[in-house]
Amino acid sequence: MDFEFLIDNKLHKISLEKKEDCFVFSDGEKTQEVNIQSISAHVISVLIEGHSYQVYWAKDKERRYLFLEGEEIVVQEPTTSQEGIEKREEKSREDELIVRAPMPGKVIKINVSENERVRKNQTLAIVEAMKMENELKSTVDGYVKKIHISPGELVDSEKPLIELGLKD
Amino acid sequence: MFRKILIANRGEITVRIIKACQEMGISTVAVYSEVDRKSLHVQMADEAVCIGPAPAIESYLNIERIIQTAHQMKAEAIHPGYGFLAENADFAKKCEQENIIFIGPNSKALRLVGDKIRSRKTMEKAGILIIPGMKSLPKDITKFKKEAQRIGYPVMIKASAGGGGKGMRVVYEEKELKPSLEAGMREAKSAFGDESVYLEKFLEEPRHVEFQVLADNQGNIVHLFERECSIQRRHQKIVEETPSPALEPALRAKMGETAKKVIEVSGYNNAGTVEFLLDKEKNFYFLEVNARLQVEHPVTELTTGVDLVHQQISIASGAKLSFKQEALLQKGHSIECRIYAEDPRNNFLPSSGKVLFLKESTGPGVRHDGGIYSGCEVPIYYDPILAKLIVWAENRELARQRMVHALEDYVILGIKTTIGFLKDVISHPQYKAGNTTTGFIKRHLDQWEGKKMTEKNLEVALIASAFDGLNSLQPRKGEESLAKEMFSPWQSLGKWRIGGK
Repeated sequence: MDFEFLIDNKLHKISLEKKEDCFVFSDGEKTQEVNIQSISAHVISVLIEGHSYQVYWAKDKERRYLFLEGEEIVVQEPTTSQEGIEKREEKSREDELIVRAPMPGKVIKINVSENERVRKNQTLAIVEAMKMENELKSTVDGYVKKIHISPGELVDSEKPLIELGLKD
Repeated sequence: MFRKILIANRGEITVRIIKACQEMGISTVAVYSEVDRKSLHVQMADEAVCIGPAPAIESYLNIERIIQTAHQMKAEAIHPGYGFLAENADFAKKCEQENIIFIGPNSKALRLVGDKIRSRKTMEKAGILIIPGMKSLPKDITKFKKEAQRIGYPVMIKASAGGGGKGMRVVYEEKELKPSLEAGMREAKSAFGDESVYLEKFLEEPRHVEFQVLADNQGNIVHLFERECSIQRRHQKIVEETPSPALEPALRAKMGETAKKVIEVSGYNNAGTVEFLLDKEKNFYFLEVNARLQVEHPVTELTTGVDLVHQQISIASGAKLSFKQEALLQKGHSIECRIYAEDPRNNFLPSSGKVLFLKESTGPGVRHDGGIYSGCEVPIYYDPILAKLIVWAENRELARQRMVHALEDYVILGIKTTIGFLKDVISHPQYKAGNTTTGFIKRHLDQWEGKKMTEKNLEVALIASAFDGLNSLQPRKGEESLAKEMFSPWQSLGKWRIGGK
């Protein structure tokens, strides 16, 4: 069966088929037999050419969190195809102009007002979470298009807090 | 001895204290905020009471409510843990007035050492070296400017009521002074309810060496040697160890005696920590007294064999210290790593969310003090410490290697943690060499991104994901057999008992 996975924003196309006691894995370049056993709800044991890998994993929606050889790897299922990724990249350029909180927290101070010119790395607002202040900085040289928040407001990490515009 | 203790805290430290109480045959009352109903400390305590909404100011810092709960549950003593009300003299005083024993220092000593300015003055008078800087709390910016010019930049802004790095800012030049003061005051206000700040000379790359002290109510004082806590980010410790690679026996003895003197002149009782900064020339300056059980107390426990929480409770109940200074020895070496819910790739921003899976490290000489479990939620409202990993071995290098492997063996999935970063700290050649100063992270691990994933690990990750993908197409084994069982004759028989009528 074919699978597509995103790791660190890179798309990987692979296939895995069951063959008697084993599995056959292919990444397009090479094909090899692997022995895979489910050990418990969160542990998979993988043997490749005699090498033993103990993989811890957990799933949350379309994300799999894996831990092996002392390393954590997040594997995502792409929601769409390669085209989607290109769109996502385009979107992330647009996203650069939207300032979000790095994590849920409380707005302490807003340092700018709408239509104000801002420089890259200028502090726009301060959000506090877990008793720590985080400065939200401008990602671009431009101006403040819209402010969606007010001091004291609780925000999550999804909500657009401030929209920036590029200098024309 | 007490019959029942209320623990006015949450997280790993509350779990630690509950365990000590269980061992001592004392029953425990946990308090919790509305978001902490499913927290480990609530599950483990004998009794648990909700004391208010999520924000700490309405729950874990709500003095009236906590005192009232202690009365209502008939707790004779309150252990405040660390953070929250642990160093709040008003709270300690209120406990004294309400005939509840506060497991910590008396309120008068707490007020003195909690007031950084007053304690600086007291120590200077007692002939103890302090860091150059202010001995008052001005409000006027020009006074700050003047003092900064007098002692010379860089200077450190510190919260008078401070601790845990909150409100602290290093200022390198005058134009940064005003915004840093504002931010420091805001942070201090939010963390301690008191916005007073002062200036101290910022010592470049000192070592942070502190001494654990125990003082009973009869005036007997012992020190339990040092902890070196130089590895810090955001002025907050993340790796601690004992013995310090920087101390020779003579210096250790001198600092230990000074620590005892600090405790004596403060009229301090119960467990406390005297913090010093040690400069390159091995001068040591009094920094402050941490009037509480420290996060890093386990390294002292593992090298001295003394259980500090037992001692705290025993001293608070009025018992005399059962050992003298001469009986205390340091054995082997211990290192602690603090596991925080933070993203080390993104400026150590706190990361809240759900712990999807947890596997603690185990093995000879490995201790795990944690407040988390598989499936628990890490709320945004509190300090992001999740757990502490502590190791002991015969010497520093063995302890260091043991820690590297313990970190490699420690799995937390679902939220970002400092585990991978800590592994690189402990593995660093400069850490191995014992060259630990407060500038360590900035100097050696700034802009840390972690190792690049190996081809093989990537491949295994893809294989494991595909394997799960294949499995999730069909009903899982567990579900399948459960479905079968639902229709098995054993299920349709209804309730029955062997030999029943």
